[in-house]
Amino acid sequence: MATIPTLPIPISYITDRYLLFSIDAVMYLRREHHICGVPIGTLPQIPQQNVFLGLPLELTPEEARLLVEKGIAFIIDEASSHNSGLKTLGKEDKSGYLLELEQEGQRAARLQAERKEIQREEALKQISHKINAESEVIQARDPAGDLNALEDSEDPGLFTSYHQSGNQPASSRASVVSGAPMSITPATSYPPLQTLSSCEFSMPLPNVPTSYPLFAHLHSKGYFLAPGLRFGCQYLAYPGDPLRFHSHFLVVSAEWDEEIDLLDLIVCGRLGTGVKKGFLLGGVEKKSHVSEDQDSQSIRTFSLEWAGM
Amino acid sequence: MASAPEPSSLTTLISNTGSHPISALTTQILHDLRYQHLWTSLQIHTPSKDSPSTGEQQQQHYSTPLISGIPPHRIYTHPDEQLYMLESGLRDEDILPERVFVLPTAQDQSWSLQKMAAVFDYLPDTEERPSLSGGDDEVNGSTKAVAAHLAEYYKQTDKARATKEWGGKRILLAMANRGMGGDGTIVYYIIQEGIVKPRQN
Repeated sequence: MATIPTLPIPISYITDRYLLFSIDAVMYLRREHHICGVPIGTLPQIPQQNVFLGLPLELTPEEARLLVEKGIAFIIDEASSHNSGLKTLGKEDKSGYLLELEQEGQRAARLQAERKEIQREEALKQISHKINAESEVIQARDPAGDLNALEDSEDPGLFTSYHQSGNQPASSRASVVSGAPMSITPATSYPPLQTLSSCEFSMPLPNVPTSYPLFAHLHSKGYFLAPGLRFGCQYLAYPGDPLRFHSHFLVVSAEWDEEIDLLDLIVCGRLGTGVKKGFLLGGVEKKSHVSEDQDSQSIRTFSLEWAGM
Repeated sequence: MASAPEPSSLTTLISNTGSHPISALTTQILHDLRYQHLWTSLQIHTPSKDSPSTGEQQQQHYSTPLISGIPPHRIYTHPDEQLYMLESGLRDEDILPERVFVLPTAQDQSWSLQKMAAVFDYLPDTEERPSLSGGDDEVNGSTKAVAAHLAEYYKQTDKARATKEWGGKRILLAMANRGMGGDGTIVYYIIQEGIVKPRQN
């Protein structure tokens, strides 16, 4: 069932946000690259919704940059690319795309009708089993002849009434549904628009905060990183998918010679221990003598927990 | 005429050990470890005198003394280590506490990653191990089985130390509440180098 989107994935840059609109891309990035992002979409009818949010998925600049650096995604200036894309979209492409949408809608309608049919048959089977079992129980319990006769005379009537009430409206509904294609609202603009990572609208690497090296370091160790506001830190580090694991660390990054208030170590350390997490402080090590290979940054990390004494 | 109250034993101790603020802090924390937490074999390590690492840059960054001592019971067990101990039926009190290094700090002291790293660079790689032949007087069957498990456990510890799967170097951060309104509280936090998963409290 694992669908892999065409790589590299376009990340839409809209009003200073990095957004993903394709569910395939979202699932793929979470599954293969440990990038979760934050879903920010509400239902159109409920703009004040603040739980169970959906597409689009917003990526932090760190996440977007990591994906671009790994060559999995590229950033595209959505507004201008969309405008120019729609202008250059040919008539045939457009009608072809509409036709495709309609076919997809028909397919969806057919699938739904089939699923309903199967469900209905199963429900009917269960009902008839139940009725058979009940009548057997009654027969076994009541050997008295006249009562039995009464049950027998009534049973077929009940049975047929079930059939009628179940059968006719459902089949008529199914025929209605399979006739009209469902209307599909596409969530992505690629397709129909063409994208190339080398096109004029692709953008440079996202600007990231100075905590990016620590972010990338933890990500390379297999941690899933989420925004840390909930626990007053920069990132939360999960040892696996956040749906399956509690986070292990409250992560704070610091510059090598940046002054740290010792009280902050206590604050985060005590809070972390209180919520069964560790406090992880880290940053890029600045060596006093400049080494030849400057590309290989070394990250120093320290984990802190309350000693309980 | 009422005379001024006698200074506390801690104040007397501090005033006797010199007026340097860092030495006063170290003395205060050492005093707390000895009498509040009942640590033994306490030592003060001054980097300039007995520095195990000879790099000039480390000495340059690092000048505060460390305390080391042996706590009455183990103060840290890595979660995987705890699992191993459970599986081999070892209890906390079967394993002799090891020497722990303590970093004395005061609340408003300035601090940075660089200073933290310098402390860890200064720390020796291997901690001294309490001798295995310590329990000569107990020779009944159950302690023999425990001793066998212990030997296995120490082997495992050495392996884990090399791979750092039971955590890297660790130090106890002691922070004293000083200055205005200081009530003499000292808090202790365990700091480990690297990404070490938290204990399951």
